[in-house]
Amino acid sequence: MKARHAILVVLIVIVAVAVQTTVFNRLRLFDAAPALVLLVVLAYARYLPAEYALLTGFGAGLFQDLLAESPLGLWALVLTSVAYSVLRFRDRFEDDFGFVGPFVLGVTIGALALFAVLGTIFGEKTLADAGALKKIALPAIYNVALAPLILPLAPLSLGISRSRDTAFRL
Amino acid sequence: MWRPSNVDRPTGIFIGLIVISLVLVTLDLRAQGAGLGSTLREGTQTIFTPVQRAFSAASRPVVDFFESVSDLFSLRDENRRLREEITALEAEVQETESIRIRVRELEALLDVSAPEEVDTIAARVLAIGVSEFDHLRVIDKGSDDGIGLDMPVLDEGGLIGRIESVTDTVARVILITDPTLVIAVRVERTGETGVLKGRGSGPMNLEMFDRDTAVVEGDLLITADGRFPAGIPVAVVLEPARSEVGFLRTTARPAAAITRIDFVKVLVWTRDDAIVEGFEGGDRLPTPVPLDPSGPAEGETDTAPTTTSTTTTTIPGTTTVPGIEP
Repeated sequence: MKARHAILVVLIVIVAVAVQTTVFNRLRLFDAAPALVLLVVLAYARYLPAEYALLTGFGAGLFQDLLAESPLGLWALVLTSVAYSVLRFRDRFEDDFGFVGPFVLGVTIGALALFAVLGTIFGEKTLADAGALKKIALPAIYNVALAPLILPLAPLSLGISRSRDTAFRL
Repeated sequence: MWRPSNVDRPTGIFIGLIVISLVLVTLDLRAQGAGLGSTLREGTQTIFTPVQRAFSAASRPVVDFFESVSDLFSLRDENRRLREEITALEAEVQETESIRIRVRELEALLDVSAPEEVDTIAARVLAIGVSEFDHLRVIDKGSDDGIGLDMPVLDEGGLIGRIESVTDTVARVILITDPTLVIAVRVERTGETGVLKGRGSGPMNLEMFDRDTAVVEGDLLITADGRFPAGIPVAVVLEPARSEVGFLRTTARPAAAITRIDFVKVLVWTRDDAIVEGFEGGDRLPTPVPLDPSGPAEGETDTAPTTTSTTTTTIPGTTTVPGIEP
C-alpha cells in the first residue's frame, strides 16, 4: 500500500470519528446514530491488502478507545474482528446491494453485540443498559441505509476499480 | 495435528492483534483509570479537540436547521403548555418568596449561617461519546476555566452528571444514566433516602431503604450524596414503588433533559465541601438548589459562551467552616 493511501485512510478515520462525536451529537433519529467508524472500517477492509485492512481496524478501534470511556483495547478488538470478517467474506462480495445490505447489517449487529458482551465481562455493565437492544439494532439499520453512500467512497478514494479482485492488486 | 504453519498470514496477524488488544484491556483495567492509558486519553482528547470544535462549528447551522424543522410541529402545543406552566409558576414564586423570607428570619433567630453561594461555570456540549454505549459528554471548558475533577454538572432541569476527566481546554462529563453510576438520593416530599442506579437509555432504578414509606408517581428525588451538593433535583419517580426483596423499588426518569443537552452549568464544588456539609449540615433536610427555570442564570448568555462566565448558585443547608473554602 502506498504512503498516500495510508495517510488517506488515517484522515478518513479521523473525519469519521469527528462526525460520529460532533454531528451525531444532535442529529439523532430515535435517540440513536449510525456506527460510522465501523462502516468506514468495513468499507476499506473490502479493498485494502489483508494486513493493512486489519491494521486499519485495530488503529481505528484504538483511536475510538482513547476517546471512549470503555477499557483501552476493547474497540480495537471489535473493529479488528470486523476487518477480519470482511477479509473472510470479501471474495463473495458483489456490488449487488442484495448481498452487501445483509452483510453490513450482520457485521454491525455482531460487532456491537460483541462490544456489549465484552464490555459487560470487563465490568462496564453495557448489557445493564435498558436500551441495549435498541443501541445495537438502530445503528445497524442506519449503517445499512448509509452503506450505499459510504462503501463506494473506499474504492473512489483509493483510486481503484470496484471489481472485487482489485483488492489484491492494490 | 495443528501447527502454526496451518494458519494463513491474515489469520496470524488477526490473532496477534486480538492478543495485543486483550493485553491493553487488562493493563488499562489494572491501572484503574490512571497510568499510561489515562495519559494517552488526555493527550488524544487534547489533540482531537480542535478537530471536534471545527466539525461542531461547521455542522451547527445544518443541525440547527434540521432541529428547527423537527421542532416546528411541536411548537404550538409546547407554547400552550408553557403558558399554563408560567401561570402556575408565577403563583409558586410568590409563595416561595414568602417562605424564603420566613427561612431567613428563622436562620437569624437560630444563629445559623446563611447558605453558601457556589460559583457556576457555563459551558456548551462539544461532543458525545464515540458509541451509543458511552454515557458521556465533552464540554468546551477545561481546567484553564476552573473546571476540576468530580464537579457536578447541571442543566436547567437538574443534575446531568459529574466531571470524569479534564484537560486544559475541555472536560468529560459522565452522565447519571451510566449503569456504573449509583447516586444516593432523598425523596423531597418525605425526606426518605434511597439509591438511584443508571440504566443507560432506560428509566433509572430507585431502591428505597425504608419499606414502609410510600413513594408515588411524580415524587422529586434530590441529591443526598457526598459527591454532590445536597438538594439538587436528580430524577422524577415514574410509578408507585413496590416492595421487593427487602427494598422498595421503582423507576425514575432524569429531571434533566439528558438526551437534548446543549448548555450546562458546572458547579465549582469539591468533595471538601461535602465533608463540611456531612459534619455540619448533614442532619438537616435539604431543599432543592434553586435552578432558574426561565432561562440561563445571570452572567450566562443564550448563545455559545465564548469566555468563562461564572455565576453563583445557592446551596441551602450548608455552613461555612473557617479555613475551608468552597
